[in-house]
Amino acid sequence: MQYRWCTNAPFIKTLAPRTLMNRLNVLLIESDLDNMLLENSLEDQGYKLLKTRYTPAFLALIKEITPDIIIFNLDTPSKKLLTDLQTLNNQAALPVIMFASDDNIDTINQAIKADISAFIVDGLEYKRLNTIINVAIARFKHQQVLKIALEDACAKLEDRKQMDRAKAILIKTQNFTEDEAYHTLRKLAMDRNITLGEMAKNVIAMSELFK
Amino acid sequence: MKTFIKVTEIWIPDKDRTQLEFGSGLYGELIAFKADSEHQTFAYNEGLPGKAWAEGHPIVLTKFEHSYFKRTAAAKNAGLTCGIAIPVFSGDFLMAVVVFLCGDDEDHAGAIEVWSTHAASENKLTVMDGYYGTLQHFEAISRQFNIPKGQGLAGLAWESGMPILIDDISKADTFIRAGDAKEAGISMGIGIPVSDNPGPPYFMTFLSAKATPIAKRIQIWIPDSHGKQLICQQGYSKNSNDLAEIFEALTVDKGVGALGRVWLTGMPVITGNHEPDYNPELDSLSSMLAIPVIEKGRLKAIVSFLF
Repeated sequence: MQYRWCTNAPFIKTLAPRTLMNRLNVLLIESDLDNMLLENSLEDQGYKLLKTRYTPAFLALIKEITPDIIIFNLDTPSKKLLTDLQTLNNQAALPVIMFASDDNIDTINQAIKADISAFIVDGLEYKRLNTIINVAIARFKHQQVLKIALEDACAKLEDRKQMDRAKAILIKTQNFTEDEAYHTLRKLAMDRNITLGEMAKNVIAMSELFK
Repeated sequence: MKTFIKVTEIWIPDKDRTQLEFGSGLYGELIAFKADSEHQTFAYNEGLPGKAWAEGHPIVLTKFEHSYFKRTAAAKNAGLTCGIAIPVFSGDFLMAVVVFLCGDDEDHAGAIEVWSTHAASENKLTVMDGYYGTLQHFEAISRQFNIPKGQGLAGLAWESGMPILIDDISKADTFIRAGDAKEAGISMGIGIPVSDNPGPPYFMTFLSAKATPIAKRIQIWIPDSHGKQLICQQGYSKNSNDLAEIFEALTVDKGVGALGRVWLTGMPVITGNHEPDYNPELDSLSSMLAIPVIEKGRLKAIVSFLF
């Protein structure tokens, strides 16, 4: 063992890279399958490799060692593992590659639901490993961009709904026109240095008090 | 912003009207105390709400241990050390009891007082009961005062029969203790007539310091000259709040909305977010207590405390 990412995780075995082509930290989650070729291949590509087995402390471990990418090589992912990966994706998403032999459509659907970057059935070809990792990382980055854009669009839509509700309250209670309601809302927001959406929530909350 | 009052509760007569049951309450983060309170009931003359019902006037209990207070252990765990119970009567009949509970933080200035006349001096009001937080000096002075009708917050409320709100109390000519209030850091006060049953008059005064205000905003709503709608006569908070002012420009019909319900039923109400994790961005106004001021069975005003 020449280096460790985390001295607090004694069950983790660290392996030395044979070349220094890659600088990415790869966490290999072991199963009962023989990973010797996979490990050698990763090391040959210069990845910094840590390996461990999947345990209930999986999420805490990821938080602690912060790998750049996680690779699984297993027969089939358990429900608990897929749930953990979904949680990981919500909390601190990472590129995840899963080599599996289970081609059941339910398993594939659940893996996609868990936002696994690459789910590869019976396709562990060591020559293509570097390409698979690069594609998975590129796909992960693209997914993150889409995810952020979606969250942003949802937040804007929610803000718009709140603004419409707040305007309706002002129109009803103050006999404002829609334009007056909007300008009142905007002035209140500017005076408080908050967004229109936040101000709309204030107006709604205040009206709730008098309901 | 911390407020002087930690817990606000409304206790209402049960369907037989023989005991008080939990109506609603604002507990902030005091979840355990809330859980302990929600299933309590108080018979006539039992516990703080029952005592206020039996006495027929507001009472202040500054020490819970070895007293008639029923939730002493839970209150101690929650850091609550003092209780104020205000019965709301319409004639002989109790509508509800409003209970305020306060803590003993170091930074805890303000005062809640009960004023009344006594047999020896029916023309003057004195402090019958009071809670002053850390303002011991102000308390000592206040307890020496006798105020006639028309003077001071309580005297003005006595004269007009209406709630009186003075927003810069340390400069008010009508407030007898202005100098002492200034020294104590008290910035505003409200006096409220609270008894609608025979016997001596009672008045509550709430004196608010800037650091720990009684409420984040206080409003006085009164019926208009035709008795058809409620209008906001006055609204006050430490910082101006134009959003609140927009809603204070509204008129309220009987039975419509929280204030309309208070008018319709003669019962105090609590509205808004009862949960501790409310959105702090909501201009800090997340809940409201509205108390009716009733005289001879008619609504004179509604005082709303926005927390």
